[in-house]
Amino acid sequence: MDPVITGLFVGVFVGFVMQRGRFCMNSAFRDIILLKDYTLIKTVVLALLVGLAGFAIMAYAGVITLNPKPLWWGANLIGSFIFGIGMVIAGGCASGITYRIGEGMVGAMTAVLGLAIGGYLTAAGFLNGIASSLQTSTKITAADGSNLTLANVLGINYSVLALIIVVIVVVIWYIIDRKNFEADAGWGWMTTGFLIGLGSILAFPLSAAAGRNYPLGITAGWVGTVKKVLNISEVSFSWIAWLVIGIVVGSFIAALIAKEFKLRAPAIRVLVQTFVGGLLMGFGAVTSGGCNIGHILSGVPQLSLGSILAAISIILGAWLMSYIMFVLPMKRAESED
Amino acid sequence: MSDEIIPTKTIDECGKICPYPDMDTMTALKKMGKGEVLEVLLDYPLSVERIPRNMKKQGHKVLKVERLEGPNHRILIEAYGLKD
Repeated sequence: MDPVITGLFVGVFVGFVMQRGRFCMNSAFRDIILLKDYTLIKTVVLALLVGLAGFAIMAYAGVITLNPKPLWWGANLIGSFIFGIGMVIAGGCASGITYRIGEGMVGAMTAVLGLAIGGYLTAAGFLNGIASSLQTSTKITAADGSNLTLANVLGINYSVLALIIVVIVVVIWYIIDRKNFEADAGWGWMTTGFLIGLGSILAFPLSAAAGRNYPLGITAGWVGTVKKVLNISEVSFSWIAWLVIGIVVGSFIAALIAKEFKLRAPAIRVLVQTFVGGLLMGFGAVTSGGCNIGHILSGVPQLSLGSILAAISIILGAWLMSYIMFVLPMKRAESED
Repeated sequence: MSDEIIPTKTIDECGKICPYPDMDTMTALKKMGKGEVLEVLLDYPLSVERIPRNMKKQGHKVLKVERLEGPNHRILIEAYGLKD
């Protein structure tokens, strides 16, 4: 199928959902320690569970062939930690800054520019040496050379293990949080989490049909777009480049309908800050082999050990930086008077 | 409007994004006495939804969430009096 149509289609769908549901993992992780607000993290966990169940069924039915990312423990730890720090500085995760372009936020545009440039310099520029030596020197594979996943480490069939995990997590979640479990009207965490998971399920076979056997991603799409815009490479727009463009378009449509679109430019200092944050995210994502979408939304449900390690590292980096940038200043502001 | 509430204090968070509107609102309310009213002006959609939810949890009373133009909103919150 034509990557232009399927990439744009999935992108517009996911972008629309992200804007309406405010889907941002940076906010999700940060709100836990800063505001004690768990709404967005519930959206993220639900999206992962829906993706996990969907991948399990599609893999069992032979609709998809899993393609878990490799475990490069050094690159996953360091790259994703830097990515986590970068997203707090940039004011959004890779998907958050992408959909906020569609809302007219200039700070998100400079962040994405940083992400694309940082990613490009790491994938093909002078930073490539650091990233690739970290990756090759810390790579661990299974005995047969395949990438490590929870399924092959434990020796259990992927689809079986995935469904067991879904059931266990749902039961635990229900027990600890059942009073907040009622379905919410409109675009609460339940609707958004379910639809993001659905987007992830749709993306896998459609992207594979276009020659890229992986679900959703963001960073590679922006790096590819920059390459094309600057005419650095002769390659045509890939599926993932159409996907990120689609996300911006979908979010723009959603923002227009909700009357939330407005061109908003913060102070120059903030634009520089989000650009620098984006650069760190780009370096971190390419070093670790994925951003919060590639590793967390798409990689964790494939049970890749590299993605699980990257996810933990992103969260720890985000918490450290949130503590320095927000928790400490707020404590200071409250104590003075 | 006859039931117009006169805010004790106003903070303008327009143009600011996550998490500054939330943090500034939280900090301002902690320093206000019981019954004083804080007016928050903001245009960041996520915080428009999140501030009322979280301020209620902290015991403050959300009096009004009013849509002005486009994404611009005005939120009125009565302080619980954490200072006292």
